[in-house]
Amino acid sequence: MSHRISNFLLSALTAIFAVAWIFPVYWAIATSIKHEVDVTAENTALLPTDVTLHEYVRVFQESNILTWYVNSFGTSIIITIIVVVISMMCGYALSQLNFPGKQLLWWMVLASIMVPTTALVIALFVLVADFELINSWAGIILPQVISPVCVVVFKQFFDAVPRELREAAIIDGAKEYQLILKIYFPMNLGITTALAIVTYIGAWNQFWWPFIMTTQEEMFTVTIAISSVQDAFGVRYAREMALTVLAGFPVAAGYLLFQKKVTNALMMTSGIKG
Amino acid sequence: MKKSLLALASSLLLSLPLQVSAATEVTWWDFLGGGDGVRMKSLIEQFNSSHPDIKINASTLEWGVPFYTKIQTSAAVGEQPDIMTYHLSRFPLAVPSGVLRPFSAAELSSVGLGPDKYFPANWEAANIGGKTYGIPLDIHAMVLYYNKDMLGKAGLLGSNGLPKLDGIANFTSGLKKLKANGAEYGVSLHTAGGSSVWRLWYSMFNQMNGAQFMSGNQVCPTDHCEKVTSQIKSWIDDELMSSETEYPDSIALFTSGKAAMHFNGVWEVPTFTDLAKNNKLGFEWGAVRIPVMYDKPATWADSHAFAVPHSDRKPISQEKLKAVLEVIAWMNKNSLFWATAGHIPGYKPIVDSADYKKMEPNATYAVLAENAAFDPKSKIAGVASPIYDSMQNFIVPSINGQLDPAEAIEMMKETLEPQIE
Amino acid sequence: MKYKREEVLYAVVLVAPFVVAYLLFLIYPTIYQLTLSFQKAPLIGPGEWIGLDNYVKLYNDKLFWRALRNTGVFVLWTVVPNTLLGLLFAIMVIRHRPLLQAIILACFFVPHILPVTVVTDMWTWLLSKQFGIVQEVLDYFEIKRISFFTSRNWAMPMVAFITIWWTIGFNIVLFIAGLRNISPELYEASDIEGATKFQQFRYITWPLIWPVTALVLTLQLIFQMKIFDQMYLLTGGGPFNSTLVILQLVYNKAFQGNDGGYAAAISFVLFVIILLTSVLQYQVLKRQDD
Repeated sequence: MSHRISNFLLSALTAIFAVAWIFPVYWAIATSIKHEVDVTAENTALLPTDVTLHEYVRVFQESNILTWYVNSFGTSIIITIIVVVISMMCGYALSQLNFPGKQLLWWMVLASIMVPTTALVIALFVLVADFELINSWAGIILPQVISPVCVVVFKQFFDAVPRELREAAIIDGAKEYQLILKIYFPMNLGITTALAIVTYIGAWNQFWWPFIMTTQEEMFTVTIAISSVQDAFGVRYAREMALTVLAGFPVAAGYLLFQKKVTNALMMTSGIKG
Repeated sequence: MKKSLLALASSLLLSLPLQVSAATEVTWWDFLGGGDGVRMKSLIEQFNSSHPDIKINASTLEWGVPFYTKIQTSAAVGEQPDIMTYHLSRFPLAVPSGVLRPFSAAELSSVGLGPDKYFPANWEAANIGGKTYGIPLDIHAMVLYYNKDMLGKAGLLGSNGLPKLDGIANFTSGLKKLKANGAEYGVSLHTAGGSSVWRLWYSMFNQMNGAQFMSGNQVCPTDHCEKVTSQIKSWIDDELMSSETEYPDSIALFTSGKAAMHFNGVWEVPTFTDLAKNNKLGFEWGAVRIPVMYDKPATWADSHAFAVPHSDRKPISQEKLKAVLEVIAWMNKNSLFWATAGHIPGYKPIVDSADYKKMEPNATYAVLAENAAFDPKSKIAGVASPIYDSMQNFIVPSINGQLDPAEAIEMMKETLEPQIE
Repeated sequence: MKYKREEVLYAVVLVAPFVVAYLLFLIYPTIYQLTLSFQKAPLIGPGEWIGLDNYVKLYNDKLFWRALRNTGVFVLWTVVPNTLLGLLFAIMVIRHRPLLQAIILACFFVPHILPVTVVTDMWTWLLSKQFGIVQEVLDYFEIKRISFFTSRNWAMPMVAFITIWWTIGFNIVLFIAGLRNISPELYEASDIEGATKFQQFRYITWPLIWPVTALVLTLQLIFQMKIFDQMYLLTGGGPFNSTLVILQLVYNKAFQGNDGGYAAAISFVLFVIILLTSVLQYQVLKRQDD
C-alpha cells in the first residue's frame, strides 16, 4: 500500500517537473497569440482569452522572415547533404579499402573530434574573407561541412557488415562502384537519415559562426536574425514571441515527428562507445 | 476584365526588368528602431518611388555596439553598406580608426549641401582635421514625457498647463506627490541600460556650475559625478523611479499609467502620438525639456548623421557615391517628416520653415537646443564608446543599488583614464 | 603490404572531399591562428612579428584572468548540476509506461533542439523585471522583484540555470539508455533481500551507470567551456564584467577592438585547454573500456 502511495507521489513529482520544464515554451506560444495590450496588462492570464494571430501576420508583413527562412533552410539542407555524403564516402574507404596513409587518416579523424573549432573563429573568418565569401551561403556552409563524428559512425557501421558479403559480390564480378552504390550505401539508410536529422538540427541552430560572418541582413539565418535585427516597435513582447515561435518551429516540429530517430542519432554521435 | 489583367501583367513583365537594370542599388544600414524606424522606412519608400534610377535596399540592425561592430567588420572585408547612419558623438572615435570616408567639397556642392545649411556646432562635429566625414540629419535630445491627468491630479501643472518641476528638491517632492496620488513610480527610465542612463546623467551633470566630465587626462576631476549618481540612486532607492528597467518596459510603464512620467529621447514621440491617435493611450500626454534641476538648463543631445564607410578592400564606386549623395540631399530636404519622429532637423531651411515651427510637441521643447550638451569630444566618448561601456558596467549597477557611487566613479576613472592616452 | 591499384584509386576519390575540407577548414586555420598569435595584427590585413609579446600581455591582463575564472565558474555551475539532475530525471522518467514516458521525455527534450536565440528570447520575456511571469510568482510570495541579468549575484547562476534547462534533455536521453542496460534481475534480487530504494541506488544503479555519468560529465565539460552564445545574448558580459567569458573576450578584441593578434593568442589558450581536457576524457573513457 505505502508502495503505491510513494509511486503515485513520485509520478506526480515527475509530472510537475515535466510541466514546469515545458512551461517557458508554452508561455512563449501563449504570449504570441495574445493582443499586445493584454501582454502587459495586470493579472496575467495563464490561458489566453482573446486569441489572435495578428502578431504573426505582422511578423510576415514587416520583417524579412521569409528571406531568413530561405537562408536557414537552404544552408542547413546543403550542409546536411555535404556532411552525410562526404562522411559516408570517407567512412566507407576507411572501413572497406586498403590504401597508403589509412592509419594516419583514421588517427586524424579521431583526433579532430577533440579540436574545438569554435576557438578557430578568427582564422576561419580571415580565410572566408580571403575567398570573398563573407555574406554568402558558401561562407556559412563550408566551415561546417567537416563532421569527424559522422565519419566514425559510418566506419563503424560498415565495419559491422560481414566480410563474406563483399567477397561473394566480388567473386560474382561486381565492380567497386557497384558494391558501393548497390549494396553498401542503400543498406545504411536508417543511419543516414538519423545522422542527417541531427546534422540538420545542428546547422539550423548554429549561432556563433553565422553571427560572426554575416554582416548583411539579407544573409542572416533565422537563428541570428531574431536577435540581430532591430524591431520597429517600442512595446512588442507578443510580436517578439511570435517571431521566436516561428524561429523554433521548424526544428521543434522535426523533432516531434522523428522523436525516436533523433534521440537514437544523438546517442550514436555523442560517442557512447565512440 | 480578363484582357485588362493580361495587359497589366504584360506591362508589369515588360517594365520590371527594365527598371531593375537601370536603377543604381544603394545598400543602406541604419539602427533606427521605434517610431524612428517607421518614419525612416516610409521616407525610404518615398525616395524609392520618386527616384526610378536609384533603389535603396535598407537593413536595420541592432542599435549601439552590435551595429558599430558590424560596420567595422564589414568594412574590413569589403562588405560594407554604401550609406549608413552614424552618431556624430562617435566621430572623434571613428575618424582615427579610418572607418569613415570623407566627402570632398565638390562632392557636397554637387547636390547643394554645405556648411551654410547647418548649425555651426553640428557641422563642426562632422568635420575633423579639415575634412567632412558626415552630413547631420538631425539633433535629438532627451525630454521628459508626462501624463497630464496624473500631474494635474497631483497639482504639478502650472497655469500654462506645463509641469512645474524645476529645482532638485522640487522635482523630488513632485515625484513623491505623484506616488502619493496613485502612480506606482513618479518617473520611469531605462535604468538597466548605460546609454539611457548616460543621457539623463549627463544632462543633470551639465546643469551644475563647474562640472566638467573630462579635463586633460582626468575623468571626473570634481565630485559632481558622484553627486549626480547618488541623486539618481536615491530616487530608485525610494522607488520614485523604476529600478533595473529594460527599454521596452520603461515605455510600457508609462503607457500603462504605472509611471506618471518618462525620461527618454525625442524619438519616442511617435510611439505616443500613434497610441493616442488610435485611442490606445488612456490619458493625455505631453513632452517638455528636462527640468532645470540644478544651476542652469542643459540637456544631453546627439545627432544622427549620414556617412559612407571607408574600405581599403572595396572602396565605393563613383556611380554609387553619386546616388548616395543624392539620397543624403533628398533626406535632408525632406526632413520635415523626420521631425515628426520628434527630432530637430539638422538642415536649417527646414528648421526655419513655418511648418516646422508649429509642429507639436517639438515646439514646446525646442528651447532645449540652446543648451544642448553634446558628448565630450574624445575618442573615449560617443555611442558604443568606452564611456558608454563604463556607464553600463559601473553607473548602472550603482544607481540600482549594487555598487557604492564613490566606488563606481573610482572604477570608471580607473577604466577610462588609461584609454585617453 | 601491397596495395591494389584500383582500390587505392577508389579510396583516393572517396576520401578526397573530406580530406580537402579537413585541411582547409581545420588544419590550415589552426596553423594560421597560431602564427597570428605571435603578431601585432588587425583582424584583416598584414601584421608585424612580435614573438611572445601577446602572451606576455595576456599573462599581465587582469581582464583575461577574470574571463578565465568566469568561464571556470560557469563550468562549475553547469556541469555537475546538469549531470546529476539529468540522472535524477532519467530515473524518474523511466518508471513510466512507454507512451507516458515519451510525453514526459518530450517535455524535457524539446528545449534542447531549439536554437539558442529562441531560448534566450523566451527567458528574457519570462524574467522581464516589469512584466515577466516569474516576477509575478515572486510578488505572490512577497519577495522583492529581481533583475536577473543585471544583478551581480544572479547573472551567472541564472545563465547557468537556463543552460541546464536548455541542454538537460540530451543528458536524460543518455542516462535512460544507460539505465535500460542495467538488468532488472539485479533489482528483483535485491528486492527479495529487502534492500531499500536508496540502497538499490547506491549499490546497483550508481556503480553500473557510472560509465555513462563519466561520459556525460566530460562531454558537458568540453561543451560548456565554449560558452559564448547565451552569455552574449543575455548579459553581454555584465554587470561589471562579472559574466565576461573567454570567447566573449576574443569577440571583443577581434571584432570590436580589431586586435586580431591578441585575440588569436587568447583563443589559442582556450584551444589548448579544451584539447587537453579532451585528451583527458579520452584516457578516462579508454580506461573504462579496458
